[in-house]
Amino acid sequence: MIEMDKKEPPHDILGYHIETDKRALEGGRAAPGFRGDVGFPEIDTPPLDADLCRKVEEVCAPRAISSKEVDGKLRLRLDKGRCIMCGLCEEAAPSLFRIQSKYAKPVKTRSDLLVEREPDRATDGLGQSHEELGKQLSKKITKVLGRSLAIREVDAGSCNGCEVEVAALNNAIYDIERFGVQFVASPRHADVLLVTGVGSRNMEAALRRTYDATPDPKVVVAVGACASTGGIFGDTYATSGGISSVVPVDVYVPGCPPRPEALLYGLLLAVDRIR
Amino acid sequence: MTAGGGAGVHPGAAVRQLMLQQKFGERLASARSMNWNEVHADARRKEDIPELCLYVRDELKGKLATIVCSDERRAKRSFVLRYAFDIGDVEDVFVIVSARVDGDSPSPTFPSVALLLPAATMYEREIKDMFGLIPEGNPDGRPLTLHEHWPGDVFPLRKEFELRTKVARVEGGDYRFLKVEGEGVSEIPVGPVHAGIIEPGHFRFSILGETVVNLETRLFYTHRGVEKLAESLSLDQVVLLSERISGDEAVANSSAFCQAVERIAGVEPPPRALQVRAVCAELERIYDHLGTLAGLSTDVGFPYGAARLNILKERMMRLNEEVAGSRLLFGVNRLGGVGIDLQPEKAQLVKSTANNVLEDFSRIVKLLKNDSSVMDRLRGTGVIPPNVAAEMGLLGVAARSSGLDIDTRRDHPYGAYRSITTDPYKDTPRRLIEHEVEMATKRGDVLARFETMVGEVVNSVDIIRELLGNLDSDPELLSPVPKEALRPFANALGYAESHRGQTIHWVMLGKESGTVFRYKVRTASFANWPAIEAAVLNDIVADFPLINKSLDLSYAGNDL
Repeated sequence: MIEMDKKEPPHDILGYHIETDKRALEGGRAAPGFRGDVGFPEIDTPPLDADLCRKVEEVCAPRAISSKEVDGKLRLRLDKGRCIMCGLCEEAAPSLFRIQSKYAKPVKTRSDLLVEREPDRATDGLGQSHEELGKQLSKKITKVLGRSLAIREVDAGSCNGCEVEVAALNNAIYDIERFGVQFVASPRHADVLLVTGVGSRNMEAALRRTYDATPDPKVVVAVGACASTGGIFGDTYATSGGISSVVPVDVYVPGCPPRPEALLYGLLLAVDRIR
Repeated sequence: MTAGGGAGVHPGAAVRQLMLQQKFGERLASARSMNWNEVHADARRKEDIPELCLYVRDELKGKLATIVCSDERRAKRSFVLRYAFDIGDVEDVFVIVSARVDGDSPSPTFPSVALLLPAATMYEREIKDMFGLIPEGNPDGRPLTLHEHWPGDVFPLRKEFELRTKVARVEGGDYRFLKVEGEGVSEIPVGPVHAGIIEPGHFRFSILGETVVNLETRLFYTHRGVEKLAESLSLDQVVLLSERISGDEAVANSSAFCQAVERIAGVEPPPRALQVRAVCAELERIYDHLGTLAGLSTDVGFPYGAARLNILKERMMRLNEEVAGSRLLFGVNRLGGVGIDLQPEKAQLVKSTANNVLEDFSRIVKLLKNDSSVMDRLRGTGVIPPNVAAEMGLLGVAARSSGLDIDTRRDHPYGAYRSITTDPYKDTPRRLIEHEVEMATKRGDVLARFETMVGEVVNSVDIIRELLGNLDSDPELLSPVPKEALRPFANALGYAESHRGQTIHWVMLGKESGTVFRYKVRTASFANWPAIEAAVLNDIVADFPLINKSLDLSYAGNDL
């Protein structure tokens, strides 16, 4: 064993100090350049230009943007569930879209992910750091479940990006277990199924069986654009266009992939859903 | 003359072309060199494929890099098979042997090379599933990509198959796993849903006591139809798609795709863009290796080390976010360059963070190496002998840990790697000998892979330092890719060394400008997956997670 150097305690990677990760925790929020939620600047702009609308529609790989005419006026619709935060719409039409450095808000229904150009909705909780969110979650878990929340993660055809972020929740910095959240090895021990991926055809049966094996009451959280809507992979011969066509979904966490704070926020909503 | 542009031909390519012409003469419909380092030899008859492949393997020292099938029935009334060989051991050249398979036949066939080149087995099974061409002589007739619930007459990569077709499920099919019989032999089925936070795949162990006597893997649960989907997207959108082939190797895969298109168009990205691309590729290698090393530490029951390595991984991912706006480095690559810049303050942040992480990393590694309970579990576990590694065509960390001295960054220098020395050992005779000794002593066990990854983290930080020290002052980050340069049906290989090994993409452009006719992806995982079945033999079941982690295979990158 290497002896611990007592002279430099705060940042000693091998030390037992809480300071080991404090430095890393300071940046609990997204960096300024982080590509997150899509916002809508200049809401008051006069009627939309049809050419510009077509241009942004074409540029969007997951087809999250659509426009249609309502009462003679062109209206743009954004499906935040499909958005992969590439930022190409902002480049094509900076007057219509702006990428913000905060994560997209997890929601409880699919229709909440469909937004028309409108002022930003209330973004409660989005300014909170991981710590604050975690404490809220911990309180809620104690109130609803008594002790802890057990999660089973299922990959139903993801690119493994979401897995990287879900796994990050377990590292010593996010350390989700201190909030009473535990990843369990079997669906039979789980309260929540955290499902990533497009719901690939080859995983459909396994996902359904995992769902059936989970005891009631159970909550399904669709993690990421793929699980919510199919994301960039869409609805094809090999995918199901989102896992909701395979199992009922209670919470949608948009993002590609969603950052750990967004996952925590999604879990907050999931606990609400437990009855 | 540059390796990136379409102009010029590598002298080694011209020599290989001549050798092929002399040997096969009239039996070749054509032989030409293009895209700087590609030699194309087109056989008149498909029956000549095995002989051509053997010649390239034995005489030109080629290693099978990928087999591409494409449905060109509309233009040539046939399917075209292309066997790409990597002769990077000798020179920076790829040899591509091709032949046509009659498209009008109701059940088209082609001669299998699986018995000559074991690495070809999987490609041929894939072609059989996706195109319906039957490899005659392939000993393994089981489906691969399309599981038993797919009807037998559906071939998704044929042109007449519509991307969004919903195919009815067929019930009652069963996959035939190899059955080991005998007294005391039992089976353990594992997956596709695993106990940890990992991707889906099925493992069927046959065990005698605790010892694994056979392992069969069943993958393709995450098949998302990447290759078919690419045919319906624009080139810019395929860049985004290529990042999502396997989320943790986003930079490597998108670099490979971009390079293929840049070669076709004869466009060379600005030097600064290539440097940014390489810095991001190395950042990716660092955070992924840190994650894998943490996983190894977990799997030997040493969470103390794992927790600390995961802190470092998190620091690197936060750096990624600062640099690229994405914790997984999505959005770095664009056709003809990159979408992000390393301004002085960012470059400084990269340098200082990488240095700090490296300092902490070396302390943790020292701790792990001094801990006999860790080292004993790693040493001698999951051995892949060099001959097996060579025969299976292993790539990347797994190959280098079994003594195969391959690295795409050095053997086929691309982008900014053309100007830096990835391998400092190649400089002097003494270093060369030291390096050879080091490669010869690699035992191919988990410990060797551990050490290789540790070395690569250190090496990557060196490369980043070197790149950041010489950042090109011209702020240009994108070279325009002119529409007229994207000729219909032009094709090229693109390749990069991901943290798992060589990822190689073959792109053929579509008739309409800015579309893709065929996009074939082969990540290192596809080549390395079969090795796990060899690596676990005679080890105990409890060592399987450790061996699996040490090979660091991507399910998504394999299943596409």
